[in-house]
Amino acid sequence: MRRPRNRVILAGILLMIAIGILLLSVSGYLQPAEDLLLRPMVKVQSWIAIRYNAIRDVLTSPSDISTLRQENAILEAEVARLQQEIISLQEQATEAEILSALLNYARSQPENRYMAANVIGQDVSPFLRSIWIGTGSEAGVVQGMPVVTERGLVGRVAEVFATISRVQLITDPEAAVNVEFQTSRADGSLSAQLSGELWVDLISQDADINVNELVLTSGLGGNFPADIPVGSVLSVRKRDVDIFQQAVIEPSVNFADLDIVLVITNFQPLPINQVQ
Amino acid sequence: MMSYVIGVPTLLLLAVLQSTVFSEIGFLDGQPDLILVILIAWSLAGRADEAMVFALIGGIFLDLLSGTPFGATAIIYVAALYMISLVEGQFWKGHFLLPPAITLFTSLVIYAYSLGILFLIGHPVDLSYALPKVILPGTFLNLLLALPAYHLMSDLQERYFPSEVDI
Repeated sequence: MRRPRNRVILAGILLMIAIGILLLSVSGYLQPAEDLLLRPMVKVQSWIAIRYNAIRDVLTSPSDISTLRQENAILEAEVARLQQEIISLQEQATEAEILSALLNYARSQPENRYMAANVIGQDVSPFLRSIWIGTGSEAGVVQGMPVVTERGLVGRVAEVFATISRVQLITDPEAAVNVEFQTSRADGSLSAQLSGELWVDLISQDADINVNELVLTSGLGGNFPADIPVGSVLSVRKRDVDIFQQAVIEPSVNFADLDIVLVITNFQPLPINQVQ
Repeated sequence: MMSYVIGVPTLLLLAVLQSTVFSEIGFLDGQPDLILVILIAWSLAGRADEAMVFALIGGIFLDLLSGTPFGATAIIYVAALYMISLVEGQFWKGHFLLPPAITLFTSLVIYAYSLGILFLIGHPVDLSYALPKVILPGTFLNLLLALPAYHLMSDLQERYFPSEVDI
């Protein structure tokens, strides 16, 4: 057994290395090293994410898959091959479906330029709501770029490495989006509660907000382009004693089922620290 | 040396699985911390020094896939694994409740540290939400994995990396 003194020295050295890494990272000197480490990691992560998504899609798909499974049970000899084929086809079909929807969305918004990116993971910290996408600065992604799907706003790029980027979702409590209501034209500020629930605050008391009304980005503040759907109004909280009214929003994007997203590449965002 | 050749890719794989698979199949908003559970088990299986080195490497892998400051997780992992190494040589080291007890305590300490780091970098933190929805479910999942991981790591250790005996 190693003597305790040696262990203290080892622990001390390891701690100093970790603290050194933290300090260098905070100072911004470790970006190239992080890029280097992330390269092989992204490949493994993309590989696993694609297969995991395919398996998840198969398992959560409706009854046609269960029929196929019954057939598979009968054709025992071909089970392995069929299963593999189903997963592959399902993934291709899902991907084609998503890309088609995204393409239609991109065509309907000719003023924006889009870059499609695979979602390859989520933040490992359960306290942060962000996703990793498999494209980075090598493809022209810049910090602050808005990220959308054909359904609406997803978030904005918060961190960029050579081959991977972290997207802060609008459901993260740190994110804030200036929005407007489509019918009443009232402005507000959307922020997420720690539970992930979306609230629009700072709505004028004079505004007449309706349930199910569509909420869009307003473009104010320069962090998102205008008129991207964010969600619809679930309920409104209006009290005479308050200065502003609030609205609870149902997001238009299903954040639990993001496979492919679009990065808006021609939008020049204000630097994140400037916005905050 | 062989343990590092196997251990480092395993840690990388666990970090990736944590980000891709286990972030979606947790309980409430909590998710198991695979790397922590494996490191605790490896340390209690008698490889405390290696576990500390793995703690640094595993922490770095997790930091790469997180928005928290790079190196922050590595620091608490090394500190925690050092504290766990102090168990070595104690007469109650073989108690069957030790792995879950240490996992419980370490998970709570690491969650508290994570919240502290987020607070320091200015991220909103709400303990009344985090405790029932993230911390307790996550700790529960870690507890569920603690004993299987300990037995798996003990078997691996005895079979492939038997301890050297001083004669």
